[in-house]
Amino acid sequence: MDKQYIARGVKRCSTARFLLWIAPWLALLAFGLYSAGLCLVKGLNQTNMDNRFAFGLWIFLDLTVIALGAGAFFTGFLLYILKLKELSAVINSAVVIGLVCYSGAIAVLAVDVGQPLRFWFTFWYPNVHSMLTEVTFCISCYLTVLAIEYLPILLRNRKLRQVPSFLVFEHELHKLVYVLAGVGTFLSFFHQGSLGGLYGVLRGRPFAFREGFLVWPSTFFLFIISAAAVGPSFILLTTWLVEKISRKRLVRPEVLQLLGRISGLLLAVYVLAKTVDTLIWINRTSPDAGFPAAQYYAWKPFGTWILFAEIVLFGMIPALVMLTPRLRRRTGWLVSAAAMACLGVALNRFVLTVQTLALPTLAFDKFLSYWPSWQETGTFLAVVAYGVLVYSVSFRYLQLFPEERELKAEVQQEQEELRVMAGRY
Amino acid sequence: MFPWNYGFHWSAASYIFLGAFYTVLLVVAATVISAVLRSRRDLRAHETEEIRWHSDFHDLPARDRVCRHVLAGEFARRECPNAFDCRLCETHARLIAAHPPEQPDEPEEEIFGMSFPLDRLYHRGHAWARPEADGTVTVGLDELGGRLVGAPDAVDLPQPGAVVHANGTAFHIHKREADVRVLSPVDGEVVETGGTGRGWYLKVKPLNGQMDMRHLLCGAEIKPWLMREMERLQLALSAEGAAPTLADGGVPVADIAQSYPEADWDAVCGEMFLEP
Repeated sequence: MDKQYIARGVKRCSTARFLLWIAPWLALLAFGLYSAGLCLVKGLNQTNMDNRFAFGLWIFLDLTVIALGAGAFFTGFLLYILKLKELSAVINSAVVIGLVCYSGAIAVLAVDVGQPLRFWFTFWYPNVHSMLTEVTFCISCYLTVLAIEYLPILLRNRKLRQVPSFLVFEHELHKLVYVLAGVGTFLSFFHQGSLGGLYGVLRGRPFAFREGFLVWPSTFFLFIISAAAVGPSFILLTTWLVEKISRKRLVRPEVLQLLGRISGLLLAVYVLAKTVDTLIWINRTSPDAGFPAAQYYAWKPFGTWILFAEIVLFGMIPALVMLTPRLRRRTGWLVSAAAMACLGVALNRFVLTVQTLALPTLAFDKFLSYWPSWQETGTFLAVVAYGVLVYSVSFRYLQLFPEERELKAEVQQEQEELRVMAGRY
Repeated sequence: MFPWNYGFHWSAASYIFLGAFYTVLLVVAATVISAVLRSRRDLRAHETEEIRWHSDFHDLPARDRVCRHVLAGEFARRECPNAFDCRLCETHARLIAAHPPEQPDEPEEEIFGMSFPLDRLYHRGHAWARPEADGTVTVGLDELGGRLVGAPDAVDLPQPGAVVHANGTAFHIHKREADVRVLSPVDGEVVETGGTGRGWYLKVKPLNGQMDMRHLLCGAEIKPWLMREMERLQLALSAEGAAPTLADGGVPVADIAQSYPEADWDAVCGEMFLEP
């Protein structure tokens, strides 16, 4: 029914099957929109956050998806600025993932901040003392950049490119995409850093407070490196997942291995920097503030296992796997390592958001526990559903993987050769 | 932070932040405006067809973008840097000067049971161009192209007076689910169209009195090109799950599409007519 909108030479499931696939995600999105609507209309009393526990599931989600979405800027930087041509096989997918992650994060932030009719206040009356101001400005600008980068991918749709003005605009915009890649890198660099800096400057929260360089706490730099490290891992992971779900070969194994190598290298740098930072924090920063670091881990379930999981299990081990050529060539190892790296960054953002606020800092303070309400969870799930829907529609109608058609022919040939060897002919 | 905010005062931080923020906005806006202006210029200069071909060429698999001198065995590996417009290619000019193409003895080349008369030049998108005595050039579909579409469901020929460009659209063919454009081998104004069955043709008059056809294949180049095309056809058919038929030395049937009712003929034709 919709074949004329699907790229020539690629196979997609029937319209009915596609509708069946998106139906549950649409239902989840509808439930999430209802949850978000309740929060917007009735206020944050719909959530389990309060004045003391002001950051919860949503900020954890924001920080995590923005880190995972870093693959868009970093892949763009590697392809258009450093000229790693192999990455052209995944750049379109990376842009869609970035767009989904950033738009989802902004949508959740809008629900969290509330008062949607006054959204423009944050731009017109910015709070000069808040790092979130820079974050808001940067991610708004970067979302605009991502939307512009998405345009050429959209306009390459088989039906749309038959319109001469779309074809020509796509061609001209694509020629200038390196400018957008440069701007995206600049913006991402700063807002990833500012998100980390947000925690590092919390002097009243010695669990999160860090020393640093000039006005930037160490978390500023750690967030940038960790985002750049897991961005390629997330692209690798999603590409593999899409290959499995669609049962197609979409990129050559060498591209996934290259993504793994880049991710592994940066993850190793991150693990090293994080280790040094943790040692300085344990031995100097925290004791100077009057808190021996061991006491943070006395509150269960936040034991020292978290530190081990963050640095060793989800940091050092995936870095070593991705840096070992023999292991990198095995898809199972490579994908597992990428998944572990992504889990590691999510754990890091969870620790900084939830553990920071849960720990008591004053003598009369208590250890707080927090569990999101169904409205918070619903809003969270809406972002997941939105992401799956946008990606699914993009995958069906746009050329997210330019080598797909070529690889289809190669796979068919391989299968033919195997059949011949098996003696069927 | 901003001059219109209460209590605003200029400081180094204000300069840095506002400078960076507005620079980013300016760069993004300038990029989009520049793309819009360039697009308007291209549309006014009627460059749509050229852009479409360059975009299509960019999307072709690397194996389909090979230089004609690879087909002739002069290079082991070389990708065409000029989107099959050898008129712009210095390497081609140098090679042709050093080794002028051989003129075969026969007036016609018989390859895989298909006839390729040598009185004409061939475009890699399966169109031919034959210079006529009256100064016009006749453009038609070659034998392999004809067998790919067999008896087409419809053919959209341009109106006399229309201008065609080399590597731009010459005409459209509809066959089953396939809707493909056939690339024009030459530049010029269409003065006549006609034909039935498989014999559709365009008569094209050069725009500036002379037709440059250095980019078209001729003479001894045709056989190696056709052999490569048969390989491409087999690959395109096998990609669609259709078993190849030429391993036993057979020849393509008159209407290949009819022999593969299950194959996605749009994909096969797109591959063979260089429209990915």
